[in-house]
Amino acid sequence: MNIVVCCKAVPGLVTDLKIGADGKSLQYQGQLLAINECDEYALEEALDLKRKHGGQITAISMGNIKALDILYYALAKGADKAVRVDCETHDPRVASTVLAAALRKLDFDLVLTGTQSRDTLGGQVGIATANLLEMPFSYAVVAVEICDNNTIKARKELGGGRYAEIELLLPALLCVQTGIQPLTFVPPARRIRARQQPVVSFSLADLGLQAEQLAPQGYRFVGIRPPEHMHQIELLQGSSQEIAAALLKKIQESL
Amino acid sequence: MARDILVLVEHSDGKLDSTGPQLLAIGSRLSIEMKGELVAAAIGHQMENVVNALQGHEVDRILVVDHPALSFAGAEVQAHVFAEMARQIEPGLVLMGYGLVGMELAPAVASKLGVNALTNCLNVEIRDRVVTVTRPVFDGTMHAEIALEENGTAVVALQKGPPIATTPSAKKAVVQSIPIDLKSIHSRSRVLEIIEEARGDVDLGKAELIVAVGRGVGDKDKIRFAAELAEALGGVLACSRPVVDVGWMPRERQVGASGKSVTPKVYVACGISGAIQHLAGMRDSKRIIAVNKDPNAPIFQVAHIGVVGDLFEIVPALTQAAQAARARVSRRSR
Repeated sequence: MNIVVCCKAVPGLVTDLKIGADGKSLQYQGQLLAINECDEYALEEALDLKRKHGGQITAISMGNIKALDILYYALAKGADKAVRVDCETHDPRVASTVLAAALRKLDFDLVLTGTQSRDTLGGQVGIATANLLEMPFSYAVVAVEICDNNTIKARKELGGGRYAEIELLLPALLCVQTGIQPLTFVPPARRIRARQQPVVSFSLADLGLQAEQLAPQGYRFVGIRPPEHMHQIELLQGSSQEIAAALLKKIQESL
Repeated sequence: MARDILVLVEHSDGKLDSTGPQLLAIGSRLSIEMKGELVAAAIGHQMENVVNALQGHEVDRILVVDHPALSFAGAEVQAHVFAEMARQIEPGLVLMGYGLVGMELAPAVASKLGVNALTNCLNVEIRDRVVTVTRPVFDGTMHAEIALEENGTAVVALQKGPPIATTPSAKKAVVQSIPIDLKSIHSRSRVLEIIEEARGDVDLGKAELIVAVGRGVGDKDKIRFAAELAEALGGVLACSRPVVDVGWMPRERQVGASGKSVTPKVYVACGISGAIQHLAGMRDSKRIIAVNKDPNAPIFQVAHIGVVGDLFEIVPALTQAAQAARARVSRRSR
């Protein structure tokens, strides 16, 4: 079972968020990139499937040279290979087009990724990629079972304590939920060693794509602002005891 | 140019999903502004009740694909059928809900149609003649406003909003059965069964007071602070998803889009940052109290009362105050 795990490098704290000059991107200050948490769960699931069924895990990420950090992290966790696609985009249609082209170059039975990234919160790229590659897909998967070389079963969330058991023919793509496996700790020494492993790099030209074809289309950002509060919020201040007394009064009034 | 609004409808057991009336109300408003028709699309089997439920919502046309194979169809087939329906009417905009069904279908339908999907939207409106959505970015700490190009189309998937009061309209929609050859759909996945998780001993939906704990609690052992508060206030202990993901609390206690939706009289959020999925499950609570050390945590967007501070100081103090108040009451009643 060869598995590709799509991981996104996402910024932690961002500042100076503003709309880019093209109107189609957001710009910000935020240097530290980490693996998107949902995608880390996908990696953990891939590692678990590899332990049980063998095979190879390839971690793939799109981005500039800074995305290498999360690929080294994936290698340190136990991925066998890493691929970086040299393309920076936050547009889901562009990202899925590029990712689909990269996946066509790789050998896999199963693609795993998370449900959404913490920066764009779109949750689109996995499924759109599956559609472009005409692969079956499932979203919000909480358990994966390999049936045979051609078939897997995925349990997906329907919400409110309901699940659907789906049978998918391989190759398939699953967007896994957080919590599908426990996140494991990677010792720093292993993370340092992983930085000596090679990372394959694909340029857009390698994938037969041209940057001009990959411009986001059909929309533009017209505003970026902190969220409005749903209600007038009353902020309580004072000592813990004062706050507690005020809170208790409010709670008693409300019941 | 007149442009129709196509609403993709979710339903189960012959009833519309709770987002249905909201989507139709928004769709109706947009269709008037875009001078088009409001068209509802529903797929499944034995659809009479669903069609009836769609009447009275200002719908101009109801498109139905009714086939036994659709009663148990997976997302691959559903996306294909919805995309085919959209192709036949070429709408100005496709609207759908952003629950767990929409999360899976919206990108698939948009990809099949070759249009943009705008998912996770909080709002959609016509502004300066163009369709404009508001959606969260960066963990919900910021909201982005995105405008479509004039006459551009997209699939817009909307988060569930607060219930909308609507008056039934007398408009009678035309019902059209859409012929789609399901056999021609090349499906590589199928639904084997639907599983209902066994109900635990707690019904969050009925609780009047919920004390919910989030990742900010930091440690499984420290959940007892929140548990003690819940006990002192006579409430029920709940949590956000990350707490379940790390195995600190059972799934049945989870509030949010993938857990339980709750509307208690009081909701006390302790160390919950307020991911969109969590807010979706609790923001209609009557009174929301949030304790969090991060003043920018999105939980404060929905809170009525906020405390920016250390939950390990505030929560035990509140527990003590509640216990003392209880003791006073029981002394008085003696």
